[in-house]
Amino acid sequence: MTTVVAALCVALPVLVVASFVITGVSDAWNHLLETLLGRYALNSLLLSAMVATGVVILGVPAAWMISFYRFKGRGILSWLLLLPMAYPAYILAYTYTGVLDYSGPVLTAMRELNAPTWAMDPLLNIRSLPGAAIMLSLVLYPYVYLLARAAFMDQSANLMEAAYMLGQSRSRVFMRIVIPMARPAIAAGTLLAVMETLADFGTVQFFGVQTFTTGIVRTYYGFGDTVGAAQLSTLLLCCVFFLVIFEKSSRSRVRYYSDRLRKLNQTSVTLSGWRQSVAQLLCVLPVCFGFLLPTGILLYWAFFFAELQSMWSLIVSSFFLAGFASLLIVCVALLICYANRLYPSTWLNYATTFVGLGYALPGVVVAIGVLIPFGAFDRGLSELLRPFGVEPSLWLSGTLIALMFAYLVRFLTVATGNLTSGLSRVRPSIDQSGRLLGLSQMGVIRKLHVPLIRGSVLTALLVCFVDILKELPATLILRPFDFNTLAVKAYELAGDERLIDAAVPSLCIILVGLLPVIWLNRSVTRE
Amino acid sequence: METAALMIRKLRLCYQDTRIVDDFSLSLKPQELGCLLGPSGCGKSTLLRAIAGFQELLDGEIWLDNQLLSTPHQRVLPEHRGVGMVFQDIALFPHLTLAENIAFGLTGWPESQRTQRVNELLELIGLSGLNQRYPHELSGGQQQRVALARAMAPKPKLLLLDEPFSGLDTELRGRLASEVRTILKSDGICSLLVTHDQREAFDFADRIAVMHQGHICQFDTPFNLYHEPSSPFVAHFVGPGEMIEARVEGARSVSSPLGLLTNDKDLGFAPGAEVQLFLRPDDLIHDDNSDYTATLVGKHFRGAHHLYEVRLDHGVVLGCLAPSHHDHAIGEKVGVSLDIEHLVVFPK
Repeated sequence: MTTVVAALCVALPVLVVASFVITGVSDAWNHLLETLLGRYALNSLLLSAMVATGVVILGVPAAWMISFYRFKGRGILSWLLLLPMAYPAYILAYTYTGVLDYSGPVLTAMRELNAPTWAMDPLLNIRSLPGAAIMLSLVLYPYVYLLARAAFMDQSANLMEAAYMLGQSRSRVFMRIVIPMARPAIAAGTLLAVMETLADFGTVQFFGVQTFTTGIVRTYYGFGDTVGAAQLSTLLLCCVFFLVIFEKSSRSRVRYYSDRLRKLNQTSVTLSGWRQSVAQLLCVLPVCFGFLLPTGILLYWAFFFAELQSMWSLIVSSFFLAGFASLLIVCVALLICYANRLYPSTWLNYATTFVGLGYALPGVVVAIGVLIPFGAFDRGLSELLRPFGVEPSLWLSGTLIALMFAYLVRFLTVATGNLTSGLSRVRPSIDQSGRLLGLSQMGVIRKLHVPLIRGSVLTALLVCFVDILKELPATLILRPFDFNTLAVKAYELAGDERLIDAAVPSLCIILVGLLPVIWLNRSVTRE
Repeated sequence: METAALMIRKLRLCYQDTRIVDDFSLSLKPQELGCLLGPSGCGKSTLLRAIAGFQELLDGEIWLDNQLLSTPHQRVLPEHRGVGMVFQDIALFPHLTLAENIAFGLTGWPESQRTQRVNELLELIGLSGLNQRYPHELSGGQQQRVALARAMAPKPKLLLLDEPFSGLDTELRGRLASEVRTILKSDGICSLLVTHDQREAFDFADRIAVMHQGHICQFDTPFNLYHEPSSPFVAHFVGPGEMIEARVEGARSVSSPLGLLTNDKDLGFAPGAEVQLFLRPDDLIHDDNSDYTATLVGKHFRGAHHLYEVRLDHGVVLGCLAPSHHDHAIGEKVGVSLDIEHLVVFPK
């Protein structure tokens, strides 16, 4: 029952948005179709293609080096490579824009050195579609790196040795065994990155690249066209769902390759000389540009220029919001997971799968999907209460309730995913043992489940917390008037070209965002 | 009526809308070690779940020590049944030490007795002194013994064992089955083992119920199951053997390609009836002095003995036991003789 309700909750924004497809076309839609739709679609497509290429170029070689070779710094680089995950792409965009500004340090130095214009122009033009692709690639490549690394390391040494015994050279083994076996994992990572790219709002908005997400917001606010915004959202949703299906199918093939054979690590080759330098370079570059450099700049700005006074209340309200919302999400997720465990049924299973789609929904779409029904509810209620002398008001939309609901829709999967994997490790026979040894159902939960899944509950809370802290578009659209979070503040300051002032809220988000990345790395290496 | 510890009457069970156990009755005597033996999917695990109280009954009753545990309308909760269970996947609580695992079901016992019981059981399973270890620090066989001790600790009236040895390697499996038998016999707990491995069942049980498609084919001692199977299914399931054509000659004899065979009990067929005679490899033994010869067509060295496949003059191929040192070549004529105590005969 709870799962069905939760599924309906998640479905609500989607259904609302999709329902506008059949309500006919608005005038603005025709205008949109003629002028802007093509541009949105083309830009989104180009951006996705560039990011897909970028994440593979950054992620796969690094994963390859880390998995198959030993070299100086390999240990530390293997986890430094994950750190860019802590960055929301828009913060990277703000930072690089600040650095590469005409009056910024890089271009000033280049002018003093009389650098040719062909070298300076591309840097000046960071606020462009390729620029956005670079920013997104720099923060999204860890998906590919992580999955490719896991796939490489999971391949059994036996298989590779079998190929060597059959007289194959090292490079042929690579091309014919290693890469094909890792391909589903690489594809899955790339698709995840593309999904995030399509959902991105902050970066493309700041860089002035017109994609679906900026188009939706513009149609809704700029033209005041609900129907058009909803229909654009539906188009975007279709793309995302195709990606979800692709991702799921490539992931289902990933599983075949993990077995309990001897793992590869023991056989890795030690590198020296120029080979070692190449390997180090391939791993250092993504880390450097995706994390070390921007973090250094942000720290410098925050330390020397920013004033911290106004930030404290912002930090408190952001943390309070994220904390409360993640508690709510984890509670709902617990209900769903327990419903599934105690009363399994095919119905529930479908509902759970559907809930799982929430994370794939772009924040902009969720926001519009929440805003439309909540706004209608508010108007209806105001109408109903008018005879009683109650002033019309925003009962739901524009309140924290709407925002919480949007977070719930978007991040419920994150929590259920963590909890399901935690609970699945508590096998049914553990429950049954507990019962046969004298515990009641509640006793089983209290004495066995609580200690056994505490870790995954905490992880779920942490990951939700960080995701909410980083979330920009839904917060921006749904937040109550004058309610600010770190992400929104960074967005506003950047919008006002006060990039240096944006450093403090950005740093806060990143520092907290590092926690789950470190956690993730620990759990990956422990496995 | 004879006293029974566990009594199951006319049980009917469903799993995901498919009826998998029907009209099932079984009783175990106090301190008896019983076994449900059957191929996977025959309903034996569902039956165990029903006895443990995790499964609804469609029909029938389950009694334990003269207490009604389950009917279609009411079920005593698992925690109040006094039934212990050892699981296939061991299911030790990973966050508790061995001592805490074993003491888990001893709620309400005074501290001193609890410690005493834990130490007593650790000694029984040969793991004394490992109280403070965690499950993951033990080998698979040790873990399974701890799971046994945990289930035995509260002195249950009945102990269920759900394929407890199937996760272990073959050699360990047989050894552990006998070991567990000794432990349970010394404690006098009535137990029911579920397995699909015939050797494990022979090592463990006093009596074995062979199950097929949701009902019992035969409930008997290992010896009788092997030597006097009641149906072709049981005959084939509990060990190797071949069917050959035969005809009933008198009340106690049949004529077969091997000649006229007689035993000392009635066969229950009218003279002249065409039947099938079931012969195990140990019914036909290799004997160099025998006048009767057969062609050796295959052989399997088993260490302590050879298992030969021999073709009789009539073309029938049978299994035949031979002493370990008699290493004849394939194609050779070898002497064989019959060593039959019971004729196993089925209608054709």
